[in-house]
Amino acid sequence: MSEKIYAWLLRLYPSRFREAYGEEALQLFRDRCRDERGFLPRLRLWLDLLGDLTLSLPREYFRLEPRLTSYAAHLRPEGGPSLLVLEQESLGPGAWFFGGVLALAAVVSFSVLLNHGVRHVPLSALIRPGRRSSDQRPPSPSPRPPEPAGDSQLPASTPTDGEQPEMVAPGNAPSAFAGAELSRAERQRVVDGAAANLKKHYIDPAVAQKMAAVLLEHEKKGDDDAVTDGRAFADLLTRQIREVRPDRHLEVLFSEVPLPRRPPAPNAGFIARYRKAIEQANCTFEPVKILPHNIGYLKLNSFPEPSLCRQTATAAMASLNDADAIVFDLRDNRGGYPSMVTLIAAYLFDHPEYMYNPRQDTTEDSWTHSPVPGSRLADKPVYLLTSARTFSGAEQFSYDLKMLKRATLVGETTGGATDVGVFHRIDEHFGIGIRESRAINPYAEPDWAGIGVKPDVKVKAGDALGAAVNLAETKLEKK
Amino acid sequence: MPKRKLVPLPSAAFQILLALAGEDLHGYGIMRHAAEQTDGRMRLGPGTLYSSIRTLLDAKLIEETEPREDARLGHERRRYYRLTSTGRKLARSEAERLADLLRVARSRKILRGEYV
Repeated sequence: MSEKIYAWLLRLYPSRFREAYGEEALQLFRDRCRDERGFLPRLRLWLDLLGDLTLSLPREYFRLEPRLTSYAAHLRPEGGPSLLVLEQESLGPGAWFFGGVLALAAVVSFSVLLNHGVRHVPLSALIRPGRRSSDQRPPSPSPRPPEPAGDSQLPASTPTDGEQPEMVAPGNAPSAFAGAELSRAERQRVVDGAAANLKKHYIDPAVAQKMAAVLLEHEKKGDDDAVTDGRAFADLLTRQIREVRPDRHLEVLFSEVPLPRRPPAPNAGFIARYRKAIEQANCTFEPVKILPHNIGYLKLNSFPEPSLCRQTATAAMASLNDADAIVFDLRDNRGGYPSMVTLIAAYLFDHPEYMYNPRQDTTEDSWTHSPVPGSRLADKPVYLLTSARTFSGAEQFSYDLKMLKRATLVGETTGGATDVGVFHRIDEHFGIGIRESRAINPYAEPDWAGIGVKPDVKVKAGDALGAAVNLAETKLEKK
Repeated sequence: MPKRKLVPLPSAAFQILLALAGEDLHGYGIMRHAAEQTDGRMRLGPGTLYSSIRTLLDAKLIEETEPREDARLGHERRRYYRLTSTGRKLARSEAERLADLLRVARSRKILRGEYV
């Protein structure tokens, strides 16, 4: 039995050692077993063997391959082809120590950098410096930045894109940077701050009182105590607020990146760059095409600022004027200015029409200036191509035209860009977005926030144009 | 270049050379001699023993002789090892080095002369 155990232990040695001395080692073991009988000598024998194993095993594994070197040495004196064999010189203890220290230093510095050094740089900026991080996470809520940006986004290819002043967008902090644990005091501060902001800013004071009371009650009862992660805590508070009223434009937000006390004002340089970029991009209007069967096709990649792009918009709509049907391609449209949405929609009606926008109070500008003199588009069939990348202002265009039954939506459900209204800072990491507009949704169907606008004809974004053209042709043939 | 260095000579290797100085021995014999030489303090385990033997063989300090039986230990054929002249020289120089150390130790009154 003992011999079997030792034979098994011997298998731990490298095969070269076992081949050369395995039998001898076993023989030696047998000899000792024979000579050293009794409990104590046997115990000593096993202690010896185990000690020997721990000392000699590493030595055997670090041993040089003698065959390789001797082979090279053997060849050389004969004057034949000289083979240079890489000597497997094993590393000295110094090298092992140095390597160990170096690896340890690398691991430690990497984790330190990950936790602290890169903390203030959004991860997305490292990966794709030219894109705003909200582009990577479309459904994440982004508070409305100050004028004139609105929720407009430049086309991804415009040169100013990366230089746009970074608005604080709490939803954008990469989750990998989930921060330190929340203390009870911070939770209390956030709850108090959220309650105070609701009472001060929410459009319905009675409901705001109730929301604040619910928040404080949950905190008092200890419902929030289990949550130590900032983002989870913000989500929890949002759910508590929505217990009172399921308002999707109301949200507590967490940002790993410290929030500045005041959002940076857009400077003149930014506006000038925006102007230049938008002009270079032909206001993101792609050239109008007239497809077979006289179907007009306009690809619109944003709804740009009307004061800059009114002419371009007018020209594009004029070139569509003789078409029998219109296809608006919004598949790459990331949104823009509601005023441009209204301006373009105006061509499609023969009377002023209300363009509902949950983010803005209803004003005179919420109605289209229809009919547009000279426009013959008011009774032409309209098709909108949508994709999961259709956002914001383009969703307003889609939603309103769908609700007004003025267009057929073909493609995918839109992105569902949420706008939580005006952002109020609570502390360095928390804020609350409160919708302050009193616009009332005239339709039974909820707006797109968080859920997107569903198409009438659901096809993949890539197939949307073909599907819309088929629909248009069928419709035109029936006439 | 052999991986394991023999400068300074590891004590296991020195004990093996000393054990082989008297007669040719097989592995177990070397182990027994080494234990006797050190009053039982050094009991070479198989791993250390054969690892050292291989190093010494590579350095040509010992050599292997024809396998044969050891009548006292049964009928198994055993590999025997013999000290080479190089090995003997090295063992001597190591012993001299130790003797030098002893002289120093004595002169510093760490050891008294009569014990050596």
